[in-house]
Amino acid sequence: MTRRGFLAGTLGLLTVCPSNRLSAQSPDSLPGTGPSGKLWDPSRAGRPFDPVSAADNDAAIQAIEKQIHCTCGCNLDVYTCRTTDFTCGTSPAMHRRVVALAGQGKTAQQILDAFVQQNGVSILMAPPKRGFNLAGYFVPSLLIVAAGVILTLVLRRWSRAAQPAAPATFPAEVPASPHELERLRRELDQLSG
Amino acid sequence: MLELVAGVLLAAGLVLFVLRPVLRPTTGLEAGEAEEAGADEGDDPDDDLSPRAVALRALKEIEFDRATGKLSDADYDALKQKYTAEALVALRAERGTLTPGASPGIAEPRAVTRPQCPTHGPRPETDAQFCSECGRRLASAAAYCARCGASLEHEARYCHACGARVAA
Amino acid sequence: MTVLGGLCLWLAFLLGVWGALAGFVGGWQGRRDLQESARHAVFAMCATLFVAVAALEWALFQHDFNVEYVAAYTSRNLPIFYTWSALYAGQKGSLLFWATVLSLFGSLAMLLTARRHRALLPYVAGVVCTVATFFVSVMLFGQANPFHRLAYTPLDGNGLNPQLQNPGMVFHPPMLYLGYISITIPFAFAIAALLSKRLDADWLVAIRKWTLLSWLFLSIGICLGMWWAYVELGWGGYWAWDPVENASLLPWLTMTAFLHSVMIQEKRGMLKKWNLALIIGSWLLSIFGTFITRSGVISSVHSFTQSNVGYFFLFFLIAAATASFAVYANRLPLLEAEARLESMVSREASFLFNNLLFVGIAFSVLWGTLFPILSELVQGTKVTVGPPFFNQVNIPLGLALLGLTGIGPLIAWRRASISNLQRQFAAPVTVGVFTALVLLVGGMRDGYALMAIALGGFVVATVVQEFARGARARHRQYGEGHAVALGRLLARNRRRYGGYIVHTGIVILFIAFAGMAFKTETEATLRPGESAILKSPYGWTYTFTHLGVSQYDALNRQVTAATLEIARNGKRLGVLTTEKRQHVDGFGRPTFQPSTEVGIRSDLREDLYVVLAGLVNGTEQAVFRFTINPLVWWVWYGGMIVALGGLIVMWPGGGSPAVKRTQAGYAVRLVGEQ
Repeated sequence: MTRRGFLAGTLGLLTVCPSNRLSAQSPDSLPGTGPSGKLWDPSRAGRPFDPVSAADNDAAIQAIEKQIHCTCGCNLDVYTCRTTDFTCGTSPAMHRRVVALAGQGKTAQQILDAFVQQNGVSILMAPPKRGFNLAGYFVPSLLIVAAGVILTLVLRRWSRAAQPAAPATFPAEVPASPHELERLRRELDQLSG
Repeated sequence: MLELVAGVLLAAGLVLFVLRPVLRPTTGLEAGEAEEAGADEGDDPDDDLSPRAVALRALKEIEFDRATGKLSDADYDALKQKYTAEALVALRAERGTLTPGASPGIAEPRAVTRPQCPTHGPRPETDAQFCSECGRRLASAAAYCARCGASLEHEARYCHACGARVAA
Repeated sequence: MTVLGGLCLWLAFLLGVWGALAGFVGGWQGRRDLQESARHAVFAMCATLFVAVAALEWALFQHDFNVEYVAAYTSRNLPIFYTWSALYAGQKGSLLFWATVLSLFGSLAMLLTARRHRALLPYVAGVVCTVATFFVSVMLFGQANPFHRLAYTPLDGNGLNPQLQNPGMVFHPPMLYLGYISITIPFAFAIAALLSKRLDADWLVAIRKWTLLSWLFLSIGICLGMWWAYVELGWGGYWAWDPVENASLLPWLTMTAFLHSVMIQEKRGMLKKWNLALIIGSWLLSIFGTFITRSGVISSVHSFTQSNVGYFFLFFLIAAATASFAVYANRLPLLEAEARLESMVSREASFLFNNLLFVGIAFSVLWGTLFPILSELVQGTKVTVGPPFFNQVNIPLGLALLGLTGIGPLIAWRRASISNLQRQFAAPVTVGVFTALVLLVGGMRDGYALMAIALGGFVVATVVQEFARGARARHRQYGEGHAVALGRLLARNRRRYGGYIVHTGIVILFIAFAGMAFKTETEATLRPGESAILKSPYGWTYTFTHLGVSQYDALNRQVTAATLEIARNGKRLGVLTTEKRQHVDGFGRPTFQPSTEVGIRSDLREDLYVVLAGLVNGTEQAVFRFTINPLVWWVWYGGMIVALGGLIVMWPGGGSPAVKRTQAGYAVRLVGEQ
């Protein structure tokens, strides 16, 4: 059977995926059976994958994973890592752990705590807001606000300095010869506008 | 082997090139001088940061800012006056210090008599109209009224033609 | 050619040492012969390093796998395009590239600098030689000699990292390097001005142009880097606040601050200290960036460049910072300038607040990047500072900056009064508010995105108003036609109006960034013929139908390609292909982990971004990740507009004074004229 004929047949048969929630997808038949053909050389396509489960697309699970730092050395969060390169073995393992913990009925905070307990605070993408970490969050903003206040004061001083000084330095009307004014105008005309 | 020879030749050539100015300073200097001639061509007028150019550009900008409605008339007048004065001061200062020919359109033949300031003595600038120390109008300067342009008498405090007050 | 290459490195080292000594001593003692010799040393160094680059490229193209660098980064079957770029694919080669480009920039500075600034050049030559010599000595003494030979000759090389085999990667590193490297020239001029005590306004001109050049290169380099990350890394984003990305952003921020505050110095003669500090800081940040990239002190996705060479950079960074700030502190009394402002409400004041924000953002990025180290020192625990931290701190600051982008140009230089401000702000503020209302009614509820787009509307309105009022003023004054007036307006004030074009580009970038708040994604497992459905933020329904998987060999890789048919609201749009690539060497042996090639369909509104995650049990049943990224195309457009504006600003002023007179702008009436 040609591929086109094969596709026409399958397309006709299938009425899948009414939504993007994968729980709604038709249940998988046994892997390797059904309408999927065998690959010529599966080893070229990287490690074998499991079909996507509902938990993989669960927004709550993803939200938790976005707060956990992947330990494979990629510097990304677990969610981004496991959905980016697809060669990493670490982030899918961490993902399974999150799913398992969620399966035990733990809340997001409890899951994060469990990770912190095992791997230390560095497992969180952003440090918890307590103790010295508060410095991490607030030093830049405080410095900017302080610098803004200082800048305002300095500007005020500079503009005050200019007010009384201006008339003294430059007499309101400089007696100017028409000759000079004429030259000044010539010079101005030479400037491109 | 060929590479080594090439490398040594390159090294010898470049060392000679680099050390030549030190070993035979005159040729190096001439070469440098020759290159320098004309290096200023194509200079951007915006690059001129002399007080005269800065003040002139400021005047231009004030004019433009008023034309586009950013400056109110009162602000415009005040700024205009200030920067015209600044430009005039810069122009005068420059005429005194620049060598003739350095800036076309500025250098004009002048008498060599040194004007005197009552408090600061003879001025170094041969054509000074104002004292570069205190800004006072010098006795030798031909004065005109800033308002009506009438030629003023020496020491006049008010213009005899329009009655405007003569500054400083 | 490695013998010649090695010799050239040593020759460059000796020339550099001589050039540095001759430059500083010659400048200090006023000896013309030494000054001239230092100048020649820069040219000679450039020539030598070019020969070294040629030697390395020769080895690369000859597939001389006895050379370690060639074996590590190329293979016989690597496309020629990428064989060329292998020059800077590895650390050793990029050090050579860096030194070469620096000496080239140094030579250009020697040749192009106007006569007025000639007194600075010996010191400039000294600084350039010192920095280039540092890079050469890292190669020679830091076990980073690209001409190092192996004890044996492998049959084939390792090949280039697949992630680097992307057109973006051919241009992104050199552009970024050009940006990083060319900061050295303004820095050298700044140090020269400080050392020679010629601290009048003139040094500023030389510095400004070079800063603009490196700002332009850095902007283009950063945008290309975002593009590369987007099309190659496959996470569907372009900026992840990775330390290396941050390192490239830092000097960009400080240089942008400089390019604004320099105008105040040109007009008022104030802020000399601040401007010099910004330039020195920008350069130090660029060296800091190199240190981060090279050392691996802070973990990063750019891990392909790590090594112990980082400590050379740390040492150099500390030494250079100490030396430059010592000179700076020593000359501070000479930099005193009378600081005066006519008014608190003036362009000057708004520029100072803009500087505050730029430097503030730079500081918070630097703070976040270094906080893990700081935390380990202070509290003994390692923490991770990821995107949530940076977004939290920088999005509000960025929005404030965007606001200032619009506010600044509306305020006159020197002084403004309330009535004029009302007249200036009326239309742009209306546009901004109107945009916000439309978005609110349209159902947008993301606060930051809403603000970004509304502020964007405000800023674009200010730019349009500036152009319109400027053109109208010309029209009134000279009777020029509107189109002519507009063209002349831009041509006569390239710095001002080119700057406004840059602002427009930045607005487009911000709006594009805001689009990312509406990213939608899902993963799905599909057999051939099955489809997945994804709703776009515009309300469309996309259907992705898996057509099948094919496997074939290409030049240096074995490809597994999945093809999908895409339909929007039932209407067929076309097919997308996403691949797994197993790279192989000339003997068909696998070289790297399989990499992923993303399928992207872009239009002006949104990108469809499809990644083949993997295949289930060796069958055609495939795991896909589908992402809809709104407005991504505008990031690249925005980048291009920024670059265009930068070019306009940089375009050299032409024409003789006579020509200018005929085209002269404003007839200025003077006080005392009737």
